[in-house]
This record gives sequence, C-alpha cells and structure tokens, in this order.
Amino acid sequence: MDTKRTPRLRRTLVLLLALVALVAASCSGRSEDTGGGGGSDGGGGGGDGESGAVVDTADCPDTGTAGIEDGTIKLASSFPQSGLTAAFAQISKGYLAYFDKVNADGGVEVAGKKYKIEVVSKDDEYKPATTAQNIESEVGTDGTGAFAVFNVVGTANNVAIRDDLNELCVPNIFAATGSPVWGNTSYPWTIGSTLAPYTVEAKAFADYLKENKPDAKVGMLVQNDDFGKAYEEGFKQQIEGSDITVTQVKTYEAGTDEVTSEVTSLKASGADTFFNGATLLACPNALNAASDQGWDAVTFVSGTCISKTLMGIAGEAADGVFATTNIKDPLNPAFADDPAMKEYNETLAEYGADDVDPENGIVAYGYTQGALLVEILESLDTLDRGSLMNKMYDLKDMTGGLLLDGVEVNTSPDDRFLAEDVQMIQYNAANKYFENVGDVLDFEGTTPDITPEDLIES
Amino acid sequence: MDLFLDQVFNGIGTGAVYASVALALVIIYRTTGLLNFAQGEMALFSTFVTWWLTDQGLSIWPALLGSMVFSFFAGAAIERVIIRPVEAAKNPLNVVIVTLGLFLALNALCQLIFIKPGQEALQMPLMFPKGDFDLFGLGIQKAIIGRALVLAVECAALFLLLQKTKIGLALRAVASNPESSRLVGINPGNMLMLGWGIAAVLGAIAGTMAASRGTGGFDTSLMQQVLVYAFAAAALGGFDSPLGAVVGGLIVGVARSLTVQYVDFLQGIELVVPLGLIFVVLLFKPNGLFGRNIVERV
Repeated sequence: MDTKRTPRLRRTLVLLLALVALVAASCSGRSEDTGGGGGSDGGGGGGDGESGAVVDTADCPDTGTAGIEDGTIKLASSFPQSGLTAAFAQISKGYLAYFDKVNADGGVEVAGKKYKIEVVSKDDEYKPATTAQNIESEVGTDGTGAFAVFNVVGTANNVAIRDDLNELCVPNIFAATGSPVWGNTSYPWTIGSTLAPYTVEAKAFADYLKENKPDAKVGMLVQNDDFGKAYEEGFKQQIEGSDITVTQVKTYEAGTDEVTSEVTSLKASGADTFFNGATLLACPNALNAASDQGWDAVTFVSGTCISKTLMGIAGEAADGVFATTNIKDPLNPAFADDPAMKEYNETLAEYGADDVDPENGIVAYGYTQGALLVEILESLDTLDRGSLMNKMYDLKDMTGGLLLDGVEVNTSPDDRFLAEDVQMIQYNAANKYFENVGDVLDFEGTTPDITPEDLIES
Repeated sequence: MDLFLDQVFNGIGTGAVYASVALALVIIYRTTGLLNFAQGEMALFSTFVTWWLTDQGLSIWPALLGSMVFSFFAGAAIERVIIRPVEAAKNPLNVVIVTLGLFLALNALCQLIFIKPGQEALQMPLMFPKGDFDLFGLGIQKAIIGRALVLAVECAALFLLLQKTKIGLALRAVASNPESSRLVGINPGNMLMLGWGIAAVLGAIAGTMAASRGTGGFDTSLMQQVLVYAFAAAALGGFDSPLGAVVGGLIVGVARSLTVQYVDFLQGIELVVPLGLIFVVLLFKPNGLFGRNIVERV
C-alpha cells in the first residue's frame, strides 16, 4: 500500500500541530482585566511623603524630570486598540476627555507652574511583548522619553514592563487591572489603579454570604490562570471557619467561551450559590447555561463582567446577579443628578472623542483615573519622578472622579492598593443596569491580609 | 446517570458545531486535496454577514440563507482570485501559507467592518427556541436537537450532491484525477470553485450555529476556538470522509464534556483529549476512522 497521499497527510498533520500552537498563542492573549468599570481612587490631600519614602532615587539615573518640556508633561501608554480586546481602548477616551478639559482650562498646576498633559499611546493588541516594545520606544532605553507610564491595560502587559521601568526609575502608575500583584514591594515603581483587587471582590462575596446565606454551598467557575487563582484562593481563605463550603471549582481555558459542561458539573455538585469568576463571553454564557439548566442559585459575577455589552448579552439570565464596584455607573439613573456624574457627562459631551460611549463603565473608570492623576499632580511640591512615585504611596482620603461617595483612596508604604472600598451591586435585567445594594464596604488596607502572599509577591 | 446523559447532550450540542466545520474542511480536502486553514475565518466572516442581515431587520433563518448565498459566491471568488494563482506553482505548501494569511486577514477584516469601537461582542439572534424537549421522559434542550437536525440535513444534502448528481460525480472525478477528468470534458477550475463555494456555505451554517449557541454572544475569536476541535474531528474521522467528520465532531464534543465532568486533572486543558484521541487513532488507522487507504500502482 504505497500511498501517494500519506506524505501529504503527514505534512498536513505537522501543519495542524503548528496551527494548534498558533491558535493557542493567539487565544492566550485573552484574559481578565477591566471588563466593566470598577474602582477608582480619590485624589487629594496628604503630605509630601518625604519621610519614609518608598522610592529611593539615589541609585537612579539623572532623569527625574525627563518628559517635561515646554510646559507639557508627556505620559506614555500602551493598550489594545485593534483586535479582539480593542474594546479596552475606550478606557483611554475617558481620561483623554478629562485631560483635554484640564488643558483647555490652562493645564494642571504643579508647584506654582501650569503644565499641559499629553498622552502618547500605542496599540499592543493585548500582547505583552508588544507592550514592552511600545513602552521602550516611548520611554526610551535610557528613560529620557515620556515622564511616566500611565494606565497600561493588562496584568501580563504590566508585568512585561515593570523590570525595565524599575531599573530606569520611571513611574508606571494606574496599571489597569485588578491583579493583587501591584502590591509587590520589589517593584515600587509600578502601582495599580482604582480597580479593586480581585481578592477584595472575593471578600465582599464571602461577607455577603456570611450575613445572608451562612450555610451556602458554592460552586466556582474561574479562569485557569492567576486571575482565577486570585478568586479561588481569596474566596476559600475568607470562608475558613464559617459554615460556607465550596462544593466544586471548575476552571476553564482562557480564550474559550464554551462553559456549558462546566456549569452542568457545578450544578450537579449540589451548589446553591454560583461564583461566576469568568470574564468576556464566558461570563454571560455561564449565566445563560445556569438559567437554561434551571439552576436557581445566588450568583456573583466578576467585576470584569459588569459591562453593558456582556450583561446585555446575558439578558434575563443575569437578572439578580451580584457584583461589586467602586465607581458610579453612568447607566444608573440614581446618579443622574449627582454633581460628579453631571460633570462627567458634560466633559464627555464637550471633549469626548466621536466614538466614545459615555454609558460604558470602562469610560467612567478611565475618566476617574484621569481626574485622580490631575489631583495627585497638583498636590506635588516638586515635579519629578521620585516625588510623584512617593506621593503614590502617601494618598490620604482622596475622592474624585466618579468614585462612589464613601469610597476613599488611601495608600501608604505598607498599603499599596489604591481603592479597596467597594459596594455590592445587583443587576436588574428589565432596567438593564446595576442597582447599588447596601452601604459601601470598608475594606481599606485589608488587601495584604486577604490575599495569599504568593499572589502579591509574584 | 442523568448527569452523564446531560453531559453527553452538552457534548452533542457543541460537537454538532465542530462537525459542521469539519464537514467544510473535508469538502475542500476531497475536492482539492488541500487543508484550508482559513476555513474557520471564512465561516467567521459569513457569520458576521448573517449578523449584519439580522441587524438590517431580517429574522435569523432568512438572514442565514442570505449569508449562505453570499458565502457561496465569496468562497468561489476566493478560490479563483487568491488560491488558484498560487496553486499553479504546484507546491501545496504555497497554498497552505496563503490560507494562513487569509486566516489573519479575514479576522482583522471582521473586526474592522463589523465591530464598533468599545464593543466587546455582538449578539446573534437564537436559531432555536429555548427550553427542553421531552424525549421519553428525558429533557433535552431544543437547541441541541435543532443543531443535530441541521447537521443531519447537511449530511443528507452533501450525500445526494456528491453521490447522486452529475455535478457531484464531476467534483469527485476532479479530485481523483484532474487530467483524466479534463479529457472527458469536465472543467477542473470550475469544479474547484464549486468545492470552495460549497465549503463556504457549510462554514456559514457552522459559524452561525456556533454564534447562536447559548446567549448568541460572539466575537472575532469565535471560530478560532472551534477550528482546533474541527481539525481534530476531521483528523479523527479521516480527512476524506464526510461521515467521518460528523462522527469525529460528535466524539470530540462528547469527549470534551465528559472530560470536564469526570477528569479533574485535565481541568482547563480539555484540548488535550481530542489531540490524544487523534494520536491514538492515527497510530492504528493512519487515515482516520473512516478514511480510505488510497492504493496506487507504482
């Protein structure tokens, strides 16, 4: 059986394996981060942080004021602007609108002098290697480019740049992900944003159950990476010593949205509570599968899933699900007369890009980061990299942007997480927005305690 | 036992989608001897066309029909305009590289044309009603039955076309021996175009079915998730056997569901299972479960 086709078949199989690798590589880019809106912090008061400074600039190159020229502070960023995760680009439309407004009013005043703010951004399609290239070209190999790196989207993407920025003493501020890893003390030049750490979400859910369903049996669906681990380990740690049990944890491959079988399995485990830690389309799909299978469970969804699009896709199946946030939802009419919300809407109307959707929660998140940065800059006594970075670890009771009333940003050398206060929200499918439930939960300063250490120090 | 059956039906529901895409792969392989790596992204584009038609106000089935017609001509056009010029070089690798290029280009094109800034995903209207169908006391989701029916109709139509019509005969003749078929008056070029057109139609159906599972939410990664499983299905069943593609698709789908339920240590990496199956099957049957050994005189 000397076959003519066999060599071709063999060749195609080799190619098949190559394709699998290709697809796996392109899929693995999909991950958590900033899906819906989320935290924010307050800018504001606080001293100068001279004493107990976190960042020691003694060993730094002499580039403390690089990136400030002709009265303009140049910031660099990198985030997906094309490809599957291009939706994250909306975050930038929020802060750009805010910066444009500030610039139009003359700029931000630092130590008696006014500066305009300019953001140079490049597209990284959510690929960490591209992020590293982008930031290197914007900051320069010697750190003499942009003044600071601002709001880079993605956990792996920020991890890819933190070593270089540490070495060059370039601030990497407001990393746009809820990973607890921004508390890592080995990387003082990198700090997160007001997205609450994922473990804070887990604590909020655990606390809710302790109060309302003390014998809950919880089935968890999480992504098979550090994002999922933060939910799983964070939640399990919080329910220790209570009557709440985890019946089963199902992980799904990052990049897939087919989770029906996982949900079937969770339901069959006897769980009466569903911790849906999935993100992107896997999240509404899981809600839908639960509803199709008649699984009537108290349900929590990830803060990365609370966007208008994803919840809209879940529709009826999402009715009544809980999540957490720390910013005001532009869709919720309860905030229509809120002064901060009015200012937000006016700013977006006047300075927003043509393709911005102000109802999108991540635009509100971006806007809040812009407002806080301006507030922080204004509180500096000297404008240089070291001062900015030390100030980031000395924020006291800041509020601002669209942060919920009652949410305050506090940091210190021992507390490197900006916004840990969150409020529970519950989705109303008929109205198509989340309603705020109960009071703001004060988790200020708790992140290091509620987060397994290996998740921070990694 | 109920749980086991639930997972089997879950598997059939996803397996039907894998099988549909695998069928399209097989059709192109049968008519051209090629593996089309762009098959998934062609289906993705067709899916977006279906979505666009529903967005214009058509309901899902007429929209799918419209998309199938569009896909037929677009698939034929791709063969004529993009594939045939490189095929002339006689090196099959050239074509494979071109299909990989198409894969990337079509994906980017979908994003560019159909997705508005800030939109994470689109939503396809559902093809089948929600709810369970009572089959001898077993509740099976109507959508799963619907997908299995569509697959059955596809198979029947393909069987009739390939085995019972003159065009089907010509298609098979070209695949088996282009030179001789030319001598009996068949134009191989036209047949190749036809093969690509048919595959694109199957892709349109598969993509639309894949998108309208569950919530109907989909994005540009839709077919990348499916294509690997579809290739697995086709390899398992045999690249030249439509029946093999269907059986392979269902096996892969069910194997995946059962792995999720019963094999804890493979959690999150269920893809290992179809790849393991392929390995084992090809070890013993190099042409797949239903593939034929092609014997030629030396």
